[in-house]
Amino acid sequence: MRALGLALRFLWIGVAGQMQYRANFVAQLARSLVGLALGLAGLGVVLSNTPVLAGWRARDLLALLGVYTLVGGVIGLFVRPSMQALMRDVHLGRLDFALVLPEDAQLVASVGRVNAWSLFDVALGLGMIGYSALATGHMGILQVLTLVVTLLAGLAVVYSFWLALACSSFWLLKVENVLLVFDDLYEAARWPLSIYPGWLRWALTLLVPVALAVTFPAQTLRGQLGWWQVTGAVAAASVSLWLSRRLWLAGLRRYSGASS
Amino acid sequence: MIALAGVYLAQLRVHLASQLQYRAALLLYQLSAVVEPVVSLAVWSAVASARGGEVRGYAARDFAAYFVVVMVVNHLTRTWTMNEFDSRIAEGTLSLSLLLPAHPIHNDVSDNLASKLITAPVVWALAGVLSVGFGAVFDLSARRVALFALAALLAFVLRFALEWMVALLAFWTTRSSAFNGLYLTALLFLSGQFAPLGVVPVPLREVADLLPFRWMISFPADVLLGRGGVSWALRGLGAQCLWLAVVVMLLAVVWRLGLRRYTAVGS
Amino acid sequence: MDATAITTRGLSRSFRFTVREPGLGAALRSLLRPTTHEVRAVEAVSFEIGAGEIMGLLGQNGAGKTTLVKMLAGLLHPSSGEVRALGHVPWRREKGFLRRIALVMGQRYRLDWHLPAAESFEMYRAIYRVPRQECRRTLSDLCDLLDLGEVVLKPVRMLSLGERMKCELATALLHTPDLLFLDEPTIGLDVEMQARIRGFLLEYNRRRGATVILTSHYMADVEALCERVLLLDRGRVLYDGDLGALSRRLGTHKTVRVEVAGPAPELGRYGEVVERTATGARLRVPRESVPEVTARLLSEHIVSDLTVEDVPLEEVVRLAFASGVSA
Repeated sequence: MRALGLALRFLWIGVAGQMQYRANFVAQLARSLVGLALGLAGLGVVLSNTPVLAGWRARDLLALLGVYTLVGGVIGLFVRPSMQALMRDVHLGRLDFALVLPEDAQLVASVGRVNAWSLFDVALGLGMIGYSALATGHMGILQVLTLVVTLLAGLAVVYSFWLALACSSFWLLKVENVLLVFDDLYEAARWPLSIYPGWLRWALTLLVPVALAVTFPAQTLRGQLGWWQVTGAVAAASVSLWLSRRLWLAGLRRYSGASS
Repeated sequence: MIALAGVYLAQLRVHLASQLQYRAALLLYQLSAVVEPVVSLAVWSAVASARGGEVRGYAARDFAAYFVVVMVVNHLTRTWTMNEFDSRIAEGTLSLSLLLPAHPIHNDVSDNLASKLITAPVVWALAGVLSVGFGAVFDLSARRVALFALAALLAFVLRFALEWMVALLAFWTTRSSAFNGLYLTALLFLSGQFAPLGVVPVPLREVADLLPFRWMISFPADVLLGRGGVSWALRGLGAQCLWLAVVVMLLAVVWRLGLRRYTAVGS
Repeated sequence: MDATAITTRGLSRSFRFTVREPGLGAALRSLLRPTTHEVRAVEAVSFEIGAGEIMGLLGQNGAGKTTLVKMLAGLLHPSSGEVRALGHVPWRREKGFLRRIALVMGQRYRLDWHLPAAESFEMYRAIYRVPRQECRRTLSDLCDLLDLGEVVLKPVRMLSLGERMKCELATALLHTPDLLFLDEPTIGLDVEMQARIRGFLLEYNRRRGATVILTSHYMADVEALCERVLLLDRGRVLYDGDLGALSRRLGTHKTVRVEVAGPAPELGRYGEVVERTATGARLRVPRESVPEVTARLLSEHIVSDLTVEDVPLEEVVRLAFASGVSA
């Protein structure tokens, strides 16, 4: 709760800061809309050739695109700016301000930087998910619940992944480039996982966990996610949060020189 | 002409040296070159299997061959001045390069060539791996390869000139990245990058026919894969030359107008 | 309240790093058997600071000032030795400790660039969990003292460097810390603004009884604020004590500036000539012979101007490092 409060406060700071730049507003909105157009055009071209892609109907694919946009938006909102700043601060040895605050340092480092414009993507993603849910017709409370749970689990996994990468900069130089790999592979998540060859499916599940973050939640909208899968997602989220926490603490110990 | 060649040689050497410093990063960047065609390939293979193995004359292995070649062409013709031009204006490095006695475009060309020299072997090797992995079959002849080389060269020059012109938009707006995004999206669908133009909806194809984009990416691929005969390929080369003439003329005008604006604003 | 704010005993910190010759062969060799060097940044530093004291930390670049401050603030773990600050072990970074300290760095800013400082105040109020009422009172105090007024309502990017530093200070003091670390707080500011910041810091120290650790390259900062200084040289304590005593001990000379009517004669016999001008000179004269030298100058030349100055603190500190005074 405390974490959410702090995140919202940082978010507000970010939004208030950017609201002074009206020209940015238009440009950034245009950017998000172009991204949306790109996604929809892709769907359009594919659906003009077949009504069903690997078992996914039009509205399923739209939901998938929605989750893709939403998760990408949340990453852009908090995760990417904060983690990039974290890596920079670690390299330049100026994590100090985050460490002298009487607040969990991981929390401050994780939500401290915000790119407010990604809220457009969050809104567009939510809109697409909502539209597709309405098109599906009646959605039970249970289905909504699984959607929320799998979304949160997916976000937790992706966040842990970024945190782990960022933390590796406590030991290694030049990890920024590895983050580009994430962006490249994330592109693949806008389509159903099942269309990819086996090795890529594994890479997208284990190496870079975009499958869990995007495909799983979208599948709940098709009503094709069993209980064991939801449980698995929650378990994966818990494990990865725990692991990245350990890595963060180890990194801090190294930063303050307790381990060397 | 000889003087210009000297300039290129010198610039090429500098760019090669500086890019070799970052070779690891440079190779990592090539990953996006692979992901994109693999995604397209997977999507269209799925479409093909949903339609019983074929989409308007393209079977899964045809898609494989097409996207592998598109990947190679896209790598050869890719430019990145667009992403840098606004910061060149903002940080004043453009003013510095304007003081040099050679047009700034030459520096960008040699920077581009240097990067291609380093990364081409990697991308070609990756293309080989993908071809084997996805069962792409090529039926090549010396004539086709020669036509392809010519088409790819013209595609590079055309795309370079066009995208350099798009980059110049930064003279008029400080938010050029939004326009660049729009351009790249249009390019994705109208150049045959996302899907062969043969399988896109008819209205989209008609728009693509009116624009230069398809001559920058899908045309050389189609030439190599033998879609359309030799006479079609020759007509295509003609279209490339025509577009090149138009774009270069436009570029000259836009550059002059942009410079006038830049120096009038006076930063 | 404890009488002592900080105690350190034998506090040391060394850094280990691998050295490598250029070249591929050396790279491979260092992969197999890395050659490490150890640098002792801080070595066996022991001191005690009473609550409410202001201590200046002096030393050349690389003397270990930053390392020492980081250990005191809990940002670095000591290699050996003990440190306690406000009754806590700093590197455990307990919230109870962090809520009572603040760190101000002259070259680094924590205020959001795009926003008015008032907006950031609100955030730090939440992070430090300062009750709203109390925060309002503290803020109005700080704004008075720093003469902030409308400044906190302007976006930070539109502030001058001095205004920005004042806002940074207000941010750092929002939770009324008992222990304040100041690293070059006046760097880059003009002389008048430096003086105002100093005045403010003194006032804050007086009102709240806060302990202050100051590092600065400006001797004027140190002179105005610190009664006590700690001189660090290559990680070791060179001098710990009263600033006045140091300057008396090392200030064995005074500067005599003399101007005569007409071209300057040879003045070397009165003292060591530090600087020569067309019509006079600056002389270094032993403290005890100053009366005699000035009397002789006045009687033997047509003097148009004559002043006697203490050796500036910069000079004292330079001397201290050169001669290696011991505490």
